[in-house]
Amino acid sequence: MTLQPVTVTKPVVEVRHLAKAYSDTVVLRDVCLSIPAGTVTAMIGPSGAGKSTLLRCLNLLEQPDSGEIVIDGHRLTAGERVNPKDLAALRRSAGMVFQHFNLFPHLTVLRNVSLPQERVLKKSRAEANAKSMELLTRMGLADKADQYPSRCSGGQQQRIAIARALALDPRVMLFDEPTSSLDPEVGVEVLEVMKELAAEGMTMIVVTHEMAFAANVADELVVMADGGIIESGPPRQILQDPQHERTRRFLRAVLDR
Amino acid sequence: MNTFFEDFATFAPALVGGLRISLLLTGASLLFGLPIGLIFAFGVTAKNKILRFVSVFFVEVGRGAPALVLLQLMYYGLPNANITLSSLASACLALTWTTAAYSGELIRGGLQAVPEGEIEGSEALGMSRADTMRFVIIPQGMRIALPSLMGFAVLLFQTTSLAYSVAVPELMSQAYSTGSSTFKYLTVFIAAGLLYAAISIPATWLSVWLEKSMSKHL
Repeated sequence: MTLQPVTVTKPVVEVRHLAKAYSDTVVLRDVCLSIPAGTVTAMIGPSGAGKSTLLRCLNLLEQPDSGEIVIDGHRLTAGERVNPKDLAALRRSAGMVFQHFNLFPHLTVLRNVSLPQERVLKKSRAEANAKSMELLTRMGLADKADQYPSRCSGGQQQRIAIARALALDPRVMLFDEPTSSLDPEVGVEVLEVMKELAAEGMTMIVVTHEMAFAANVADELVVMADGGIIESGPPRQILQDPQHERTRRFLRAVLDR
Repeated sequence: MNTFFEDFATFAPALVGGLRISLLLTGASLLFGLPIGLIFAFGVTAKNKILRFVSVFFVEVGRGAPALVLLQLMYYGLPNANITLSSLASACLALTWTTAAYSGELIRGGLQAVPEGEIEGSEALGMSRADTMRFVIIPQGMRIALPSLMGFAVLLFQTTSLAYSVAVPELMSQAYSTGSSTFKYLTVFIAAGLLYAAISIPATWLSVWLEKSMSKHL
């Protein structure tokens, strides 16, 4: 019998007792999460479970009411004033990919990827463009550099958005339903890129309804419902033997359709 | 019919001279009014109470009061407060106010129409508030506002005809004085109308063309 070597790495993302409510509606209740470096965490659960809100709290697109977030050493405590420098540092460490891409439609593909490098990392135009072209080439989009985003397909736009986020050398990539607004066939292009990233050791948190991706690529599966984490662990284990009744109900709904 | 064209040719130098003043007045009002309008666009939604109050005051009065009232106020009213401006300067001041008020609201509408997702996209990348404004919100907001701003500019050009009431020698007042000295009112007002149209109609075409060419990749 051989034992797998256990590598204990320092978590890149730590969430402690995070809570958030919109007036009377509780969207997150006491969420704790620890994401080790180099792992892929898939978050699943019914809509309204708080998955996207949790992800959006991580880079403060939403303000949590209480709790603490640590990303790559940048600590943020809810309720305390965040100075813009810390906020920028935190957001640079966490690359975000949105369901609707959120590219800048008035800029070319190349400018979309280069502009944040110039403004956030203070790179020169030439340095930024070199990095952008390297990433676009990796995404198979080098020929789209001078096009505008609207001339690209949804799958291409999402890969441009991934390149734009990667260009800032983030420590963790946050994916908020990256394939939900894409045709299934087009979504595959994006999933392929995400698999490559995972294989290269990028730390990733992925909110998704792609159960195959969750099962095959993720190291950890987190099931959320009603604003809390109800179950987490190795994906296969949870998919085959869910412990929680709510998880069973959700998995029946997504797998037996 | 021949006499119409002969009269037209006789009146032309005076009318074209007036047209130049009309265009000058339009241009100056836009030159000063649009930047002030951009400030108002931010001012009416500013957190700072004083800035917001001042912006809302000038925007609401500028849009609420007819341009004719503002023109008369600046030319006949201000001397009572010991401020005496030339007719052209007072007309320019009044129409700058009108321009700033209307364009402020048009620009604000454009800025607010920039999709929230793009702003979030920019923020999530760690871009500062100022950079997001400069590289994402303003370029796109201005693009959205541009067609209505061009439409406003055409209206403003036509509104300059009101400046005849404060003795600015623009196209309308040239037409009026030519008419009153020759009694050929019909000819002279048709000629003036044609000159206004000769500017307004191509300007409208230009704005439609510009709108199309700018929204090509959006």
